[in-house]
Amino acid sequence: MASNKKYWSSVEELNPNSSIAETLKQNEFVEEIPNDEFLGDKDSLGSSSTSRRDFLKYVGFTTAAASLAACEGPVTKSIPYVVQPENIVPGVANYYATTIADGYDFASILIKTREGRPIKIESNTDAKINGGANARVHASVLGLYDSMRVQGPKAKGEYISWDDLDTNVASGLNAAKASGKQIVLLTQTFASPSVKNIIAEFSQKYGNVKHIQYDAISEDAALNAFEASYGVRALADYDFSKAEVIVSFGADFLGDWQGGGFDSDYAKGRIPSHGKMSRHIQFESNMSLTGANADKRVPLTPTQQKVALAKFYGFLNGKSVGGELPAKIEEAVKNAAAQVARAGKNAVVVTGINDIDAQKVVLSINKSIGSVVMDADAPRMTRQGNAKQVAALVEDMKAGKVGALIMSGVNPLYTLPNASEFEAGLASVDLSVAFSLKEDETSTKAGYIAAEPHYLESWGDVEMKKGHYSLMQPTIRPIFNTRQFQESLLKWAGNDVSYHDYIKQTWESTVLGGSSWNTALHDGVFVGNGNVTVETDEDAVPFAASNEDTEPVNAEATVASVSSSVNKLAGAAANGMEITLYPKTGMGDGRQANNPWLQELPDPITRNTWDNYLTISMADAEALDLENYTVSNGALNGDYVKVTVGGVTLDKVPALIQPGQAKGTVGLSFGYGKTLGVKEEMKTGVNAYPLYLGFNNTQEVKLEKVSGTHEFASVQMKSTMDGRGDILRETSLEIFNTKDSHDWNPQPEVSVNHQEVSADEADIWAEFDSSIGHHFNLSIDLNACTGCGACVIACHAENNVPVVGKSEVRKYRDMHWLRIDRYYSSEESFEGDMDVVEAAPNSISTYHQLEHPSENPQVAFQPVMCQHCNHAPCETVCPVAATSHGKQGQNQMIYNRCVGTRYCANNCPYKVRRFNWFLYSQNDEFDFYMNDDLGRMVLNPDVTVRSRGVMEKCSMCIQMTQKTILDAKRDGRPIKDGEFKTACSAACSSGAIKFGDVNDKESEIVELKEDKRMYHLLGFKGTRPNVFYHTKVRNTEEA
Amino acid sequence: MASHYEAPIREPLVTGEKSYHDVTVDVAAPVEGRANKQWWIVFSIALVAFLWGLGCIIYTVSTGIGVWGLNKTVGWAWDITNFVWWVGIGHAGTLISAVLLLFRQKWRMAVNRSAEAMTIFSVVQAGLFPIIHMGRPWLAYWVLPIPNQFGSLWVNFNSPLLWDVFAISTYLSVSLVFWWTGLLPDFAMLRDRAVKPFQKKIYSLLSFGWSGRAKDWQRFEEVSLVLAGLATPLVLSVHTIVSFDFATSVIPGWHSTIYPPYFVAGAIFSGFAMVLTLLIIMRKVSNLEAYITRGHIEYMNKVILLTGGIVSVAYITEFFIAWYSGSNYEDYTYLSIGAATGPYWWAFWALIICNFIVPQTLWIKKLRRNYMWSFIVSIVINIGMWFERFDIIVINLSKGHLPSSWTMFSPTFVDVGIFLGTIGFFFVLFLLYARTFPVIAQAEVKTILKSSGERYKRLREDGNSLVGTGADSRTSDIVGTTKENLDQDTKNNS
Repeated sequence: MASNKKYWSSVEELNPNSSIAETLKQNEFVEEIPNDEFLGDKDSLGSSSTSRRDFLKYVGFTTAAASLAACEGPVTKSIPYVVQPENIVPGVANYYATTIADGYDFASILIKTREGRPIKIESNTDAKINGGANARVHASVLGLYDSMRVQGPKAKGEYISWDDLDTNVASGLNAAKASGKQIVLLTQTFASPSVKNIIAEFSQKYGNVKHIQYDAISEDAALNAFEASYGVRALADYDFSKAEVIVSFGADFLGDWQGGGFDSDYAKGRIPSHGKMSRHIQFESNMSLTGANADKRVPLTPTQQKVALAKFYGFLNGKSVGGELPAKIEEAVKNAAAQVARAGKNAVVVTGINDIDAQKVVLSINKSIGSVVMDADAPRMTRQGNAKQVAALVEDMKAGKVGALIMSGVNPLYTLPNASEFEAGLASVDLSVAFSLKEDETSTKAGYIAAEPHYLESWGDVEMKKGHYSLMQPTIRPIFNTRQFQESLLKWAGNDVSYHDYIKQTWESTVLGGSSWNTALHDGVFVGNGNVTVETDEDAVPFAASNEDTEPVNAEATVASVSSSVNKLAGAAANGMEITLYPKTGMGDGRQANNPWLQELPDPITRNTWDNYLTISMADAEALDLENYTVSNGALNGDYVKVTVGGVTLDKVPALIQPGQAKGTVGLSFGYGKTLGVKEEMKTGVNAYPLYLGFNNTQEVKLEKVSGTHEFASVQMKSTMDGRGDILRETSLEIFNTKDSHDWNPQPEVSVNHQEVSADEADIWAEFDSSIGHHFNLSIDLNACTGCGACVIACHAENNVPVVGKSEVRKYRDMHWLRIDRYYSSEESFEGDMDVVEAAPNSISTYHQLEHPSENPQVAFQPVMCQHCNHAPCETVCPVAATSHGKQGQNQMIYNRCVGTRYCANNCPYKVRRFNWFLYSQNDEFDFYMNDDLGRMVLNPDVTVRSRGVMEKCSMCIQMTQKTILDAKRDGRPIKDGEFKTACSAACSSGAIKFGDVNDKESEIVELKEDKRMYHLLGFKGTRPNVFYHTKVRNTEEA
Repeated sequence: MASHYEAPIREPLVTGEKSYHDVTVDVAAPVEGRANKQWWIVFSIALVAFLWGLGCIIYTVSTGIGVWGLNKTVGWAWDITNFVWWVGIGHAGTLISAVLLLFRQKWRMAVNRSAEAMTIFSVVQAGLFPIIHMGRPWLAYWVLPIPNQFGSLWVNFNSPLLWDVFAISTYLSVSLVFWWTGLLPDFAMLRDRAVKPFQKKIYSLLSFGWSGRAKDWQRFEEVSLVLAGLATPLVLSVHTIVSFDFATSVIPGWHSTIYPPYFVAGAIFSGFAMVLTLLIIMRKVSNLEAYITRGHIEYMNKVILLTGGIVSVAYITEFFIAWYSGSNYEDYTYLSIGAATGPYWWAFWALIICNFIVPQTLWIKKLRRNYMWSFIVSIVINIGMWFERFDIIVINLSKGHLPSSWTMFSPTFVDVGIFLGTIGFFFVLFLLYARTFPVIAQAEVKTILKSSGERYKRLREDGNSLVGTGADSRTSDIVGTTKENLDQDTKNNS
């Protein structure tokens, strides 16, 4: 709308005939410009001392000065929005629901974006399944900004255009079609209804198309067993929150067993309520996260596991089963069987033994006891890999039967045990295309690298479990010239519809059943409403028929086949040492090997970073003359061994002595030893996949000590609690139920006027009044904490915690604001430790006894971050008051003010303060994500990146609590309980970490604080922390 | 003044046939003479060490504290060990010049000048460490309560580190003033003897126009007494406050009420050891055997024996109380079975042997009057006291409350380099001092020459009058009875 405002220049304008107004209209200047005064007087001009030469000098000077002034300072690439993008308000985060489905991790998640940049991953609490992001998922956002990503399609090492790629691929496919050779799609597990349709379309166009799904770490045996029993190639789902008794034979179900994601339900059942909690018995070889959490853990070899499972079946069904087991183990198996029998349908048995018989037996046990924990009707779809087909593919390729190979989400040259054969086969494939994020081992050998977008730049859909769907949506425009596998297949199949539209069509026709697409996309998850049925069997599996194990069988045949399976298990035998290959919490199958957050994430069990290693029992290490020892600065060194499995040899594998490792067994994790597509620093560890013969994670192994010393990078030097049971309080369920809390969770008392009073009442200082406003407390339930490490990574991402690299971690300079301490008992149990202390306190023998972990120790985890003491020792000692107490209970760190005396860190009883020994950002010495422009895009703009020389530590995510307060203030409403969150509490899907305002008397945190399990870490110090713990209760009840 | 009666049984404090003029000549000799080869060799080594240390400091400041061996658990190690060590060494000077002045211990006169020079130079070394140990040393001035533009931001008066700032700076300034006051008549003496104009100019500046009038002397005596009164509490306060860095903390092994007296005793212990180390060499090199005698060495060894005893009692108390507490958080403090048998056993035993066992040999008179043995013991104590601070800091920090955070410490070449650098710097200063300053308070020594000089004692014991015996043939004509007396004495003596 044009303005009709009139501006008056003078009152004269009121008079329409005024000459002055007329003159003003004509002339800009009312008075004559006095040109003559300056230029009219020739004499004065002539007498001026400014000569022509002077004039030129002036001109020269002013030109030089003007151009100098025009020179820019350093260019800061900050471009304001000219047109504000929709929904983006600078400083305000947007959240999108999406899904990670990289073939190894499947989870429904929320992405926090700031100014259009995805910066953090959070759990999608609306998801009924796989809504909790684990450490790897939390870290995956960094993969988006990975500077090693391939930035566009490539052929022979040169970037090409997508059009060229399409032309070449089309001609290649047509050639393959014409020659009658196979066209093979070798992909990760997509578990995607849309992908299935696309592949069907693609097959239709080219005919001889095979879709082979390949999981680097195979669940083949479990899939086959389930398929044999239930006719669907899927995996049974388990809800451990319903379990009263859990018996696991080598199943690391708190790790990545069968796709993982069981920990949050498990944790629910571990919190004692009404005097009850689950009882968890673990039979296993390696010390796994699951075994560490178990109430009772029995170490035994993989072969013994099979026998034990057979015997377990026998005890449960009152049958006698052959096979030899050590008496102690047999006793444990018998007890476990009795407990399962007593719990009936509330029990569950699981196994990670990579053997179809074992898997069948377990399924049948759960079925026969009618376990409410197992859900076979709506099984999990997130593992589909077929080992047999992959093996056949290698043969076909070598035989020259494959005309075209299109790969996506797989890296067989790194993950296949027979990678060299695959490589040979690949050479005889006419057209090979690898969709990949990286120029990795496989894609560099393929004819074309089709640059794939990161999942945060992609569309997609996943059927996590039957009837449970999840949607993937892009949260940023593709950073590089990338195109999705699905989009490409559509194009090559001659369908021009975009993948987004394709998914929408698929969902509207087969998934949504009339529900809103937009709502589903908004929520990220959708649970089938029964209006549509989806078939899950494999159309494109020509091998299925030939697999005798996979045919559905009738009930009687099942009984017969189970007893034959049991007999087969009972007859298991092995020669010599056995190795169990396992995925590590941080690295999984290794696809995120270039992620420094994950490399630096301490393994929950070994607390080692940047490495994999052969875990070996003390007894075996002694027999092989292997040593682990600390050097003068406390760093761990170890010997190397040569590992030989069935003719495959790894020359130098560092050996780490692992308490709890079954004698006669060793463990080695996958995911390390990558050579391509990763930065120099990340080329750590050894590749264990060559030992993964026949996709079997247990193998017979020969070990031989070789020369050399390995330097480990551990963050924890001391593995026991040294008899200081007060640190991580623990009791048994029986004592917890029957005794007064004073006996098992005494609160510190001090003497005031010769009267013992609670330490909280005694104070030498005048107490600050913290009853007004908010006062934050953090609660950590040691029963619910499984030690998974998701909080550590979440904290990394939220708080811009720097990565320091292997050599610095080795010097104990890790920067984690939140760590998960792991303690081993020195005796069989922590209770036994305390007995030793009581028997002979202060004696030298006690010291030595308590310094070393037991052969099969109990394990306990304790997340420790800044305890935000109300009487903080750090605050009094800082000479410049750079750390001081906040009104809301936080112990605050003022980076600007810090001069770096480190006195605060020395005086911190919890040792949670971290010093910036060097400049960790924009420093070539620390070439991690903070050293390149791309990597720095992940930084949280709400949190300062600390400079060198200052102390830092947990801030209780003050940027998050302030945001919550401001939001509520703007909305003019009180803050609801549960609104306050920290990065760790939000990431803790098992509910171990809870955060809240204790001044809100109705809140959950107050209830937790008043719980009789509550205690403060080192409460006797009088530091009055705002973080408190809940005593760990173990269900030690035997049958 | 002067000739108060001194019992014949007392050893003379100045031996040999020293006249007043001899004292002047002996003290002025190193300043007026030329440096010999040894001096240049030692000075060069010290200078190289100093420059190397300077390089290490520059490297630290430009790269980050990470070039040291510290880690997340052990936030201090060699830096603060060195700091406390140097501060401790600095204690003997003030004790000798102030406390012994108040107690009228005349033997201090031969050693106080160098002891106090040592104090000042070692406090300079000590003062370096709190600054360079900071992550951001360019902001070191933030620990000073200076008016600023940071709004209401002020230093934290609760912090013992801040108290350190005040304690050390006060100590340094009072010591410096005290030292300089004592130097004034001696500088004036050098000025008066100087023949080169430049030298004369310099020394006349340094001597603040000292004229030697009776009024000068009267004021000199008064100021000395007042400063001694001021400095005496500092002897106790400085190391008390340094010990507060540890004692007020909550760390097992640090949190200990015994620390203040124990630290003060330890500081004097180490300070005297360092004085011995320096003077046993100096008396030879600078030909001061007549002034720094066997008796002086013995006196100092006695102080070492006393303070070493206090320190030993403190060790035993610490050890006992840690055990007696029954708290297993005390199991691994620096004086505990855990430390004695743990990974730092060598540091524990170095402390016990050097500070507890070896000094006990000084109970034997023969040994404490033996120059060589005194020298060895003094070196051993210096080492032991360094280990004491290392043990207190590193062992206690490395094994705190939570075993999960236990680590160890290993120094890097930078840690070592900076320490050697400060030793180099110290000796650079001390060697320059030895060549340019009157290393013995000659004005004061002259005051006791007649009462405690060997020659005069003998004269007095022989029943001779001391009248006129101060005269010297080089400075005055000797006539009459004085000459007879002297000739007789010389004859008797030879």
